[in-house]
Amino acid sequence: MSQSPEDRNPELRAIFFESSNELLQSLNEAGLELEVRPADEEVIRRVRRAVHTLKGDSAACGFHKLSELAHELEDVLTSQVAQKYGSRFAEVVLAAADSFEAMLAAYQRGAELPSLDKLHSLIRSLLVDSTPVVETPEAPAAVPASFAWTEYEQLMISEAVHRGETVYNVALRVDPDSLMRAAAFQLIRNVLHSSGTLIALRPEDNLAAANVEIVEAALASVQPEDALRQRCHIPSIVSDVRVERATSAQTLDHELLGDLLDAQAAQVVANTAERSDTSDTARAAQANSAVATVVESTLRVDASRIDAVMNLVGELIIGKSMLHRALTEFDQRHARDPVRAKLTEALGFQSRVLDELHKCVLKIRMVPVEQLFRRFPRVVRDVAKQCGKDVALDVSGQNTDLDKTILDSLGEPLMHLVRNAVDHGIEPADERLTAGKPARGTVYLNAYHQGTQVVIEVRDDGRGIDSAHVRQQAVKQGVVKAEEAARLTEQEALNLIFESGFSTATEVTEVSGRGVGMDVVRSVLDRLKGTVHISTQRARGTTFQLRAPLTLASIQALLFRVGGRLFAVPLSSVLEISRIHDQEIHRIDQREVLQLRDQILTLVRLEHLSRLRSIDTEPAKKKHFVIVIGTAEKRFGLVVDSMVGEEELVIKALPSDIVSSDLVSGASILGDGTVVLILNVPAVLSRLSRAVPLGAIA
Amino acid sequence: MQQFAALLRKDNQPVRYLVVDDSVFARKNIIKMIEMFGGEVAGEAGDGLTAIAEFNRTKPDIVLMDITMPQMEGIEAVERIVRQHGDARIVMVSSVGYQENILAALQKGAKHFVQKPVKPEVLYEILRYVLGDDPNAAGAHVALAGEHRA
Repeated sequence: MSQSPEDRNPELRAIFFESSNELLQSLNEAGLELEVRPADEEVIRRVRRAVHTLKGDSAACGFHKLSELAHELEDVLTSQVAQKYGSRFAEVVLAAADSFEAMLAAYQRGAELPSLDKLHSLIRSLLVDSTPVVETPEAPAAVPASFAWTEYEQLMISEAVHRGETVYNVALRVDPDSLMRAAAFQLIRNVLHSSGTLIALRPEDNLAAANVEIVEAALASVQPEDALRQRCHIPSIVSDVRVERATSAQTLDHELLGDLLDAQAAQVVANTAERSDTSDTARAAQANSAVATVVESTLRVDASRIDAVMNLVGELIIGKSMLHRALTEFDQRHARDPVRAKLTEALGFQSRVLDELHKCVLKIRMVPVEQLFRRFPRVVRDVAKQCGKDVALDVSGQNTDLDKTILDSLGEPLMHLVRNAVDHGIEPADERLTAGKPARGTVYLNAYHQGTQVVIEVRDDGRGIDSAHVRQQAVKQGVVKAEEAARLTEQEALNLIFESGFSTATEVTEVSGRGVGMDVVRSVLDRLKGTVHISTQRARGTTFQLRAPLTLASIQALLFRVGGRLFAVPLSSVLEISRIHDQEIHRIDQREVLQLRDQILTLVRLEHLSRLRSIDTEPAKKKHFVIVIGTAEKRFGLVVDSMVGEEELVIKALPSDIVSSDLVSGASILGDGTVVLILNVPAVLSRLSRAVPLGAIA
Repeated sequence: MQQFAALLRKDNQPVRYLVVDDSVFARKNIIKMIEMFGGEVAGEAGDGLTAIAEFNRTKPDIVLMDITMPQMEGIEAVERIVRQHGDARIVMVSSVGYQENILAALQKGAKHFVQKPVKPEVLYEILRYVLGDDPNAAGAHVALAGEHRA
């Protein structure tokens, strides 16, 4: 504290001056916007953020006068004050920006600080007038909320009030640092449930919660307002709370169901009349806006209902292949029967309709990737600002559809990739200029379909990843041994960044470098049976390509037999199939390997991995099929007895008490009733890597 | 080292914790923090089954439960403990990337969750919050949450 500003780290100060220029810029812009649209909540929030950052940064650099001023400003820059004073508020923001600028210049030159009397008095004038509002610890407008309940919910609220219960409108801001939004939402829901009777909740389900910042609820509770507010302040989950009594203004005028029905009936009559006659009745209907019906073309449906339909469609598909099998048998026995043609035709028709039905059901679950992408402009802006960089975000392919469940799972990995791209990928402006690139870096987000997969790319035009540096760091952090690191191919070396505990950042920053994160990318994609691929070019940039199946409900699979049993692997993870002779298999370190063209491939035998008892009496063959399987970053060869073919499998989840092995991720039933086990490729790989060093799995 | 005001029970006794994690290192790490908070380790377990047995034996005030463990996963252990003891206070400890598991644990009655690597100041706030809960309200909450799922 006693240090003078000059003693502080000069590097830190340089960063501060650079970043504070941006803050001033955004303050200025916000001030101008406020002049046009006073009391715009989003702009006010931006102002507060800028001032808040300035406060923290300047304190860290030892510029206490500046920090104090920012602190003072922060107290007055609320939306209540803005609403009250309108353009005078904007004036204060702009004046503050000027004062900050003058102070910064003075600090930089080591000159005397400018007089702040004028600004101080401006601030004080706002502060004095608005003291009662500012004094409340949770200024009600701190959490923006609309509490736009449906008619039914409003009715429930008014009935609760009518019964003499206290109903609160509660708005909670989910902590912006919370990475697990859906879990956070579930916890909020638990807490609300335990605090009273939950009448209404937005968002309504965990899936929708992934992109939501504010949770709104109507709660009938016997708890006093303060206790409720305290309970809702869930640490590390909720950053802001707003609790207010649902007043009579918010509840309907009609307190009883009968009144409401009457009103609605009247409105229907009014609406009907409106069509023929647009005079008084129409105006009357408009006036009755509390019950104005909005024609909704979208429908909220419980996800479990869709799953049930999906499941039934799956059963139908199995039924279809049963019919096909029966028809083939019929064909063989009664080749000349005229009924045959009719059956074939009927079956053809049925399967076309079934395909259509299947697609339709899948489509219900599909949502545009835009839902995921739309949070990134802010993320990029914020991270860029934190790192003091100038970074633009270029988004394309927003309309690409994919399964909601998959979309939600991808949020977290994408967040890490984008933050990393800005923090590590993009170079500081001066470095970019020296390299002959534009000062402003760009991060590209793109999505498209490819076959039965969706591809999401995060690309930056930054410095690229130096694989030698990655190797070095990995060895230093004990992720791999030095000799293993040297053996790795370029691609494998890059993939080290997905190892848990790995970090290339030489210094831990607020944004990244904590060694958590990138391993999340891989674990999520493994779970989704997807892949992630890195390509990078020195000084040109890096692309992360995430591939995930379009849906989790069914997969295109390759069927094969081992020891007489039927298995399947997702076709998307099959790279090639090869036929080999016994002699081509070599042993290295107690591992069977195969030289396939110029690569050494580790071989896996299912019977060894899982103590599978053979139900096959055939003698061991000399020639085998090898299925080359690749996941996120490794590949191996699976030795199988015979190939069966390719089929679309409807996945049935297996209860954990039936299957104790993690080697199997699910099962499916074929048309003839045979059960196929679907192999869990990542689990097989992890078993492998536990037994052998990482580098050996080539 | 950070300083924390001791977290105590309403009867001013130290809070008793059951620490469940299959990694000994992770357990020691958590225990170190518990001690910083003035708590007392009632028991330790390396898997879900042992956790249930230890819970019944020690009746801790708080359980800190890892998600992924051998023998029995954390979620199942939560379910079984809460089924028997509706007022159990269980805080899940997990790495990011296990969101679905945390969600499931919360639906089964876990009270909160904390991300690995666990930061003492975050854990402290969470424990304070969970301890402040009225046990009666907590019991009601489990029933309500179950009702909601159905």
